[in-house]
Amino acid sequence: MATLLINGKSQTVDVDPGTPLLWVIRERLQLTGTKFGCGVAQCGACTVHLDGQPARSCQTTVAQAAGKKITTIEGLDPNGRHPVQLAWIAEQVPQCGYCQSGQIMAAAALLARNPNPSDADIVNAMSGNICRCATYLRIKRAIKRVAQGGRS
Amino acid sequence: MSTPVTRRTFLASAATAGAALTIRFPLTGPGAADGAATYEPNAALTITPDGLVTVHITKAEMGQGVGTALAQIVAEELEVDWKDVRIDYPTSDPKFGLMLTGGSWSVNWTFDALSRAGAAARLALIDAAAKSWNVSPADCVAERGVVRHLPSGRALRYGEIVARMPITKTFSEEELKQITLKKPSDYRVVGQWIPRLDIPDKVTGKAKFGIDTFLPSMVYAKVVYPPVREGATRTAVDDSAAKRVKGYVATVTLPQLVAVVANSYEAAVKARDARKVSWNPGPNANVSTESIFAKFSQAKDDSNATPWHEQGDVKSAMSGAARRHEATFMTDYVAHMQMEPMNCVARFADGVYDIYTGSQFQTFAVGTLAATLDVKPTNVRIHQQYLGGGFGRRLEPDIMVEAALIAREVKRPVKLIRSREEDLRRDFYRSATLQVVRAGLGPDGKVVAWENTLVASHPGKRWGPDFVDKKTGLDQFALNGADHVYDIPNQVVRAVPVETGIPVGYVRAVAPNYTFFAVETFMDELAKLAGADPVQYRLSMLGGAPRLATRPAARCRWRRSCAPWTAASSSIPTAPVRRSKARCSSASATPSRNAAPSPTGRSHSQTSTTTRCSGWTRCRRSKSTSCRRPSTRRVSASRARRRWRRRSAMPSSRRRARGCARFRCCRIAFSRLFARGRELAARPGRPRGGRGGRQRECGPGCGPGPRETTQIDNAVRLSWCTDS
Repeated sequence: MATLLINGKSQTVDVDPGTPLLWVIRERLQLTGTKFGCGVAQCGACTVHLDGQPARSCQTTVAQAAGKKITTIEGLDPNGRHPVQLAWIAEQVPQCGYCQSGQIMAAAALLARNPNPSDADIVNAMSGNICRCATYLRIKRAIKRVAQGGRS
Repeated sequence: MSTPVTRRTFLASAATAGAALTIRFPLTGPGAADGAATYEPNAALTITPDGLVTVHITKAEMGQGVGTALAQIVAEELEVDWKDVRIDYPTSDPKFGLMLTGGSWSVNWTFDALSRAGAAARLALIDAAAKSWNVSPADCVAERGVVRHLPSGRALRYGEIVARMPITKTFSEEELKQITLKKPSDYRVVGQWIPRLDIPDKVTGKAKFGIDTFLPSMVYAKVVYPPVREGATRTAVDDSAAKRVKGYVATVTLPQLVAVVANSYEAAVKARDARKVSWNPGPNANVSTESIFAKFSQAKDDSNATPWHEQGDVKSAMSGAARRHEATFMTDYVAHMQMEPMNCVARFADGVYDIYTGSQFQTFAVGTLAATLDVKPTNVRIHQQYLGGGFGRRLEPDIMVEAALIAREVKRPVKLIRSREEDLRRDFYRSATLQVVRAGLGPDGKVVAWENTLVASHPGKRWGPDFVDKKTGLDQFALNGADHVYDIPNQVVRAVPVETGIPVGYVRAVAPNYTFFAVETFMDELAKLAGADPVQYRLSMLGGAPRLATRPAARCRWRRSCAPWTAASSSIPTAPVRRSKARCSSASATPSRNAAPSPTGRSHSQTSTTTRCSGWTRCRRSKSTSCRRPSTRRVSASRARRRWRRRSAMPSSRRRARGCARFRCCRIAFSRLFARGRELAARPGRPRGGRGGRQRECGPGCGPGPRETTQIDNAVRLSWCTDS
């Protein structure tokens, strides 16, 4: 049994403490916005926030996440209108969209700690998130758009 | 395997209050090319009493934005406000004809049919409104979802007509064809930049991919895969340890597979790992890269190799050539590596299989499942979800078969998710290839003979007889592009299909990925051998379609080649150059390049049979060190685009210094354009290899003239915009 604080809600799940947080979020709690891509923290599709910091949920155990504030894409903004999400729409970032929850979570964490990131900062913070459709240029533009207060 | 459509009548069913008008009819696709599947795209749309129009998208959404594009086509002719347009992705059904997404075919195969679907719906709505007013339909017009009677000014919204009036107008196939469609100059939805309809859900995590499916009382399965991709046989299964895993549900042992089922993904993984299965690795246990290429190398000398494309007399032209050149190109296996690992949810109840996944080829999947599970195709339903990347991987139904078999055995809905490692090991890769290209040059440096031997595994055979050429048994998708667009009087492409124990499939643009690599790289070498500027050299062989070269050259801001010996051609020619004026500087021969390291160090080797121009060596030692980097031989399209953008912001002096890089980009541009150009040239018969592309099948607007120009323009634009 483990109690997790996810998107402001306390949830108790009957799992082994060594279970990856990803599978609990996705398959137990059915918060499927967080994606499974590689299972070994190499692609970034499973990125969530733990106390505001981006974390790869596939390599975070339930035990490690317990007691921390967990935020998934569903909890980023109650209405799905976080500035990063709005910028993502304005720049028409996603293609297949599978990696984009992870990209948005990584970008939101970056912008929270650095509201005006340079190109190098963006590349640094986002390089762990892979997009097979190669939407990188638009991701970069969308992050810049947020930094400029929503203007392109 | 495709379902031939016999019913050709358009039905606009009568609707009463509260009912929705569903407009549905089979639409004739482009004529099937010889040796390819029958293509019968189909379209459907629903108008509800609230005035909303739902366009049913039978193409897979995997990032290309197809849903929005197809809805635009319907909305244009239906004369409906874009804000009232919705899309959905319907469950597989024979009424949709062939359900296949690939090859960048979706828009150009369905444009006419969907336009007519929209127009026919509009006419039926106008007819119904006119009848209710007791006026002539000719006095009525439809715009923005409203039918107006012009003389009296009366108006009815589409939703009102659907809710209140009988809609009785029907169209025969002939009448459908006779509908006058809008002129492109009158388009107000098509051709407009419109935000994609699928994006809002993709930024909030609401978009449902196959892996996001949940069914009541669903269990999780893991298949125990053999250690060898193909040919291994099972000798013993011991599941005693697996049974002790908490959450274990069942073991499924079938001739096709062994799987464990548990009530969570983690438990299924643990039970799978606890299970002991012994294997006889079979005949492919020792297959390796070395053994495969050794086999390829042996196969290339097969004198019985089938000529796939042949014209002129290569043998005598080659022996009479002033000089000859030969190169060998090798490419590796390529995995799809779509972001979403292969997964499927299957349920078997009341004799019906419900499959939840993202599929690029529902028709094939339904046929395969029906045959494997021994049920009627109508008892297999594929519920389409978003695809977390396709790239051709989701043309294959392998995961659906596994999930359905397990679901049948455990009698509960089953979710089967492959790990990334399993996904990579169980892929259907793009084949490794070995291509030996030989050319003979005339005294003026012009290519007089061209011979290409292409050794590869062909996916088509595994897919069925519709996917191979009926005469030769060859898969055109494994070969196209090898018969390039250049006007060379004597040419032959010999195809040698080889089985290696590694199953192959279609990945991205299929054969052109390796055929253009060989053709265009070789063409560069020939240009250098001839002492010609590579763009001019190509133009001299592109009598029919010089824009194929001039447009990319303009895009690249091509000025002159990197080789200092090139005759100055400081601007891009505006008119086609029909004859190469370049002369081969035969005096400037240097020793063979065999001594130099292979350009990729791995995938490309060069065999010299003749002396070559000094220009080549000099070029390779130019300032642009990137010439020698392995990665530069194969530049991804997105990288190439980035480079163009960077270069456009670069001072001209620096651009010149980076001539080599510019040249490489051109090569990519050529390749893309040629692929698209050939496709267009081959209209209306598709799919086909370039082989058929040469025999242009002209329909209205397909011949030379202004329309031709438009098509090529589209080709150019598409080739820069298409990513998925």
